[in-house]
Amino acid sequence: MNTRGQQIMLWTTPVGGALFLIAYLMFPVLTTPMSPLMSPEAVAEFFNNNLTSIRGVVIFANLIGASLVPFFALIAVHMLRIANSSPVFAYSYIIAVGVSLSAFILADYCWGVAVFRPDRDPQLISLLNDMAWFFFITPVGLLVVQNICLALSIYLDANEEPIFPRWVAHFNVVTAILMVPGAFAVIYKTGPLAWDGSLSFTLRLATFTVYVAVMFVVLLGVVRKQNENSGGSQ
Amino acid sequence: MTELAVDTANRSAVPWFKNKKLDQYICFWSVPVFYTLFGLVFVPLSYMMPPRSPAAGIAEVVSFMQSPTLLIASAILILVLGLSAVANACYAVQIRRMSVSPVFLYAFLAGSMVGAIVGCLFPMFCFGLGAFRPGYDPEILAMLYDFGYLSFIGSLGCFCLNWGVLSLAIVLDKNAILPKWLGYYTAWQFATELFAATVWIAKDGPFAWDGLMAFWFNIVIYVPWQIIVYVCVFMAIKNQSETELYSSELESAAPNEKLAYS
Repeated sequence: MNTRGQQIMLWTTPVGGALFLIAYLMFPVLTTPMSPLMSPEAVAEFFNNNLTSIRGVVIFANLIGASLVPFFALIAVHMLRIANSSPVFAYSYIIAVGVSLSAFILADYCWGVAVFRPDRDPQLISLLNDMAWFFFITPVGLLVVQNICLALSIYLDANEEPIFPRWVAHFNVVTAILMVPGAFAVIYKTGPLAWDGSLSFTLRLATFTVYVAVMFVVLLGVVRKQNENSGGSQ
Repeated sequence: MTELAVDTANRSAVPWFKNKKLDQYICFWSVPVFYTLFGLVFVPLSYMMPPRSPAAGIAEVVSFMQSPTLLIASAILILVLGLSAVANACYAVQIRRMSVSPVFLYAFLAGSMVGAIVGCLFPMFCFGLGAFRPGYDPEILAMLYDFGYLSFIGSLGCFCLNWGVLSLAIVLDKNAILPKWLGYYTAWQFATELFAATVWIAKDGPFAWDGLMAFWFNIVIYVPWQIIVYVCVFMAIKNQSETELYSSELESAAPNEKLAYS
């Protein structure tokens, strides 16, 4: 089987990483997260003072989110190669990816709308900002299900030569657990569980970044092996 | 788990964790867990259901929108939302086994993605946001209240799509994966979704979002239907012959091979 198409799709992941790096360097406005304790007036002032940066983040984040879709789609493709009795884990994974991406893009749009007319009532700017942080940080249940489905699928792989190495399953379980605290950002405004806290923000985003980087390398290996096993040369 | 135990016992005493269909059973049994938590979130935890009145006064709306249990309900919902994907994947797997075009499968997957956002995550966030920041203007809380209820109860399009697709697939299927009568029953479920259309217009009476026609009529039809469908899905998993397992759909994508679908 020719895997060239898969490799092209896989290499959109580092493109997403590069876009992230550019956005991070050019528009560092959200490098330190906004505090959930800011008053509506303070939020409105923050948006007014950082118009260009936030617009940059909004445009880049939209592209970055979309550029990760082929990566998740490729994981789903290889989940479908795993010898489980049915594609149920892969289908769960595909649905969860669609919902996650929509949530991320909605967060992006909330910021985009807030910064489009920053002279709106501060209450409305603050509402859009709260909604953006909710959509950005908290919908971790989807990532948890994605990772657990992938892990279970690997554990139950009946192939003699498994598609994914077994440690990838353990790795997915660990990342799923590390994501869980993000859900509690809807409850707390201060401390590690708030949306700017060490668990909900730093740990969650760091885990996600490491996860994508590690799984990228894993997928490189999986695609290469598929290519070798089918006797392809491309 | 008793049915599962019987099922495995019939298959020459294979322990349950070595059952070949373990992946399907794990996903299937996550469904009752999901619906139990879903029910807990919406009924006793947040008292969002049965729905409050769209004609409620502003003071009543504000006091509801500021109740702290809404936040706990939101956190739990966020954590279990992913299981809705698994619950829908259980149907999708059965659609995939049917002798129908893959268009049914893909339409169902797309409908499931949209449904989880507009019919579940977004409405819960509307309520959660009100409780998260009680200092909002009452006007804003009232808008979130409307937005939450309307998108929760008035999200009919994607569910019409899903039940329509499921119903048609069952009726057209020649492999008898799910019983034919379930297809016609599901078509009726599709029709009841349309009854919710009036919630976008009526503010009180039987056609409002807490009304006899738009809500109670639907819920009375929906709950037994949902249970019956999952029982049928369970039977379909149980009756699936072992020779049909492990059929990878990716094989059908390779060139020069017979297409798996007709």
